[in-house]
Amino acid sequence: MNIKLYLVLLISLALLFSCKTTGQKDSGRYVVLSPEVAELLCALGLEDRIVGVTKECSYPPALASKEIVGDFGALDREKIIQLQPGIIFSSALEQEAIAAEFTKLGLRVESFYPTSLEQLYEGITRLGEITGTQSRANALSDSLKQSLQAVMQEAEGKRRPRIYLEIYRDPLMSVSDQSFVGALIELAGGDNVFDRLERDYARVDPEKVIEAAPDIMICYSQDSLQSILSRKGWQDIPALKNGRVYFEADINPDWIQRAGPRIVDGAKRLRELCNQWEQKL
Amino acid sequence: MKRIFPFVLFIITAGLICLYMLIGSPGSGIMWQLRFPRLILTLFTGMVLAGIGSIYQLMLANPLAEPYILGISSGAAFGAILFGVLGLVILMPLGGFIGAGLTLVLVWSLAQKNGSFDRSRLLIAGIIAGMFFSSAISLVMYIFRQDTMIILGVLMGNLGRIFSQKEWLFFQILAGLSLLLMARLYFRSRSLDIVSGGDLYAGSVGINTSKLRLEIFILSSIIVGISVSYAGIIGFIGLIIPHVVRFFIPSGQKRIYLYSIWVGSVFLLLADLIAKNIAAIELPVGVITAAIGCPFFIWQMRRS
Repeated sequence: MNIKLYLVLLISLALLFSCKTTGQKDSGRYVVLSPEVAELLCALGLEDRIVGVTKECSYPPALASKEIVGDFGALDREKIIQLQPGIIFSSALEQEAIAAEFTKLGLRVESFYPTSLEQLYEGITRLGEITGTQSRANALSDSLKQSLQAVMQEAEGKRRPRIYLEIYRDPLMSVSDQSFVGALIELAGGDNVFDRLERDYARVDPEKVIEAAPDIMICYSQDSLQSILSRKGWQDIPALKNGRVYFEADINPDWIQRAGPRIVDGAKRLRELCNQWEQKL
Repeated sequence: MKRIFPFVLFIITAGLICLYMLIGSPGSGIMWQLRFPRLILTLFTGMVLAGIGSIYQLMLANPLAEPYILGISSGAAFGAILFGVLGLVILMPLGGFIGAGLTLVLVWSLAQKNGSFDRSRLLIAGIIAGMFFSSAISLVMYIFRQDTMIILGVLMGNLGRIFSQKEWLFFQILAGLSLLLMARLYFRSRSLDIVSGGDLYAGSVGINTSKLRLEIFILSSIIVGISVSYAGIIGFIGLIIPHVVRFFIPSGQKRIYLYSIWVGSVFLLLADLIAKNIAAIELPVGVITAAIGCPFFIWQMRRS
């Protein structure tokens, strides 16, 4: 009886130790959980290596044919493992905990969450190193730097309109200069009305918006122009008085909120809005 | 002590209102267009919560009763949140009314048996309805993670609502209606006092307890529904303020009700003032109400 027991134990242990972890190698199959990374990988010409994406990875349109592995905060873990990814590219925020789980399973997870332009350039270089496309990554990074430099130069010496970006209406939320989008507004020659907030994206007091008297308002809070104009006490804000309220249709939020290659389009569009404001002064 | 109580309360009220309106030296535009509506919403919410709390504690013969116990708040919050996450942010109060109305009908139908309106059935029906809508809110939170701020705004209270001109007018009408209903409830105080002595006793002096409970339930549900639709759920006030008032006025629902309304509105004003100004970021007012109220309540309890 005892011999049988020892044999079963021995076989179990042998089976246990024969299990292999999936390893840390890049098998050329990527599951991408962050829309920013998806855009950057495609810009590096690595679209074919992507085997799975989250619902939010909506650009470029070619990603529509990829397997969906859930949405940003609710991932289908089994589906991701079934896809046998060599690398899982995740973002920060709520994905950090999920990334830690995949690491425990022996999968390779690379997190990418730039909060400044410098971090974006460094991130692109790192993506190049990870994927073995250093030269393309350097070229992309240089091209972004040059394009943004050109926008910055265009803004030099010009008057800076005060810009208010609204993310939520109730409660009212905006962005600080420390956020990626706040930094892009400053680069394009605007003056983000909330220099400092407790977080990159934080709740703000409506009184402070009125006191700041923004010249331009970018509204991503799903509110309509008519509704904004009827807000009590907001009528004297220059942006509203002069019809300088812009919505998602006027400036694509993904251009300025995603740290991806389209930030050049975002910066140029922001510059256009600043130029239009200056011309009407 | 009893004589100076109203006088002290009056001084505190006047001082707080002045401070609330003038702190930070705002321009007249901000003061009248933004702060005044917020002041009114805050006073109204505090009044409703503490007033209805005092009534429910007596009517349900339960010291743990509070305005949210009969599930109306969860229904109203669910309606408001659902409208918010579906992109109808401006119509959130309407969602709140619809949610409150549906919950009222649900609790009513669950609570009555052969036309009678027993307080235990009412309490159980309310708690079940509340649990049902709380789980529905959890589901919405899970599905619409990106709208966490809207959802938290309702669940943790949001007195900083931005009113449009029309919304403000509509709110004034509803607040006026609520005050009328609260006045009606004031005149039910004596009957409530009698009912608190037992249904049999109340019946013997000619009070139809079932009808009284039904009336109070419907009126209070409308008032609480309006309050939650605009200010979200703010805990603690409805539970504790009536007890604090009873430290000073041990009996007589009429006076307890009136002072609960008064103290509730002043206390919420103080909490909102602190929530707005204590940190650079505005804190949820529900956190402040509990942070100030709990130590004060414990101190009062030990003292008496």
